[in-house]
Amino acid sequence: MELLTAIFFDFILAFCVAFCWGILFGTPVKALLMAGLLGGLGHGIRFILLHSDFGLISATLIASVTIGLLGIYAAHKVHNPPVVITMPACITMIPGLYAYRSMLAGIKLSDQAILEKDPNIIPSIAHNAVLTFSLLFTLAVGISISALLFRNKSVKQIRFDKSRLLAKEK
Amino acid sequence: MENKNKVQKKIKANEVAEFILDAGVFLMASGAHSGRVWRNCKRMADHWGYHMNFNPTFTGIMVSVWDDNDSENAVTRYKTAPQNSVHLETLTQISHLSWKIADGKTEYNDARRELEAIKNKARYPFWLVALAVGISCGCLCTLAGGSPVDAALAFCGAAAGSAVRYFILKKQFNQFLSFIIASAITTLIAGTDTVFALGTAPEMTLATSVLYLIPGVPLINSVIDLLEGYFSASIARSLFAASIVSCIAVGMTLSIMLLGINNF
Repeated sequence: MELLTAIFFDFILAFCVAFCWGILFGTPVKALLMAGLLGGLGHGIRFILLHSDFGLISATLIASVTIGLLGIYAAHKVHNPPVVITMPACITMIPGLYAYRSMLAGIKLSDQAILEKDPNIIPSIAHNAVLTFSLLFTLAVGISISALLFRNKSVKQIRFDKSRLLAKEK
Repeated sequence: MENKNKVQKKIKANEVAEFILDAGVFLMASGAHSGRVWRNCKRMADHWGYHMNFNPTFTGIMVSVWDDNDSENAVTRYKTAPQNSVHLETLTQISHLSWKIADGKTEYNDARRELEAIKNKARYPFWLVALAVGISCGCLCTLAGGSPVDAALAFCGAAAGSAVRYFILKKQFNQFLSFIIASAITTLIAGTDTVFALGTAPEMTLATSVLYLIPGVPLINSVIDLLEGYFSASIARSLFAASIVSCIAVGMTLSIMLLGINNF
């Protein structure tokens, strides 16, 4: 029960983040709700995966790919390009903490006294920077999953039932 | 279909190129990846009966438009992109416009007028953006494990920084300067958490309150462009994003030095 409440709490917070980020990015009003839902869902999935001992990077990858794939369907629903929805949704998982830690360690590196006291700063920069970049890359893969899987094809042309696709080809 | 194209040959290659450049450059500055710009432009050129090819760089687009049956009717033009400001609604509207053109529902002149209308479309008011930014940074802070006090400080810092950045940009200052000042102000407000030990997780306040400045759209677009093979656009985008990130770092450093590095 506690876990369920935690997941729900996570979903609500991520919903707010994606919704507000949509306003910052200028997502149309119609699509804001969908962006929020996708963001909450993706972050919730990541939360569950992290609790079931997945690695941070693989959990983020799975969550962002889920957002990307659901985004194609959601885009059809609200008549928007998928990126308008998936971009704010994926931003909920942006690796801000790791970017901040590597930057703070970078600032500290410029001070000789601090460096001599704590030489672990250098590996901590490397670790946090690598984490930041891998997480960013997974987010980009999630958003561009439609472009990767359905190359050179507009999302609008993807059909969800096979009969219509076949009819079109004839 | 063939006949229809012949009737519409009135439109000169030059006009088609101009329309494509206008729409493409605006799309690029609003946060579309090169593949999307290509698809939208290609759709329009196809309908008007022209072949087209283009070289997208982040700072501008070079486009060639030509007609197979008339070698005189060809043109190559370049246009510089306006300043980058992410606005995803533009992507929706230009995409709709290009589908309307491709389905033959709108004529060239009407399409031009519609494009101008899209360009002048109102954005969300700055106070709403500041509020949204504050709420989202507060939520991110809570997600990262901050207490309500931390979240409230992150909210104040992000909202104040966002509003200040809006006024700096309105005065037409360099946008990199706006990033430095905004991140310095945000860190100054969020840093009080660390200095006076107000919340339980002051590190989270600092880390999450400047997230609204992170150039997420250029960063992610640069990876998408890389995956799709638009290398020059990808490099330009990542350079742009990297310089913004370093501007944020400079602003944070200023404030952290001001508050005392040993507190952090």
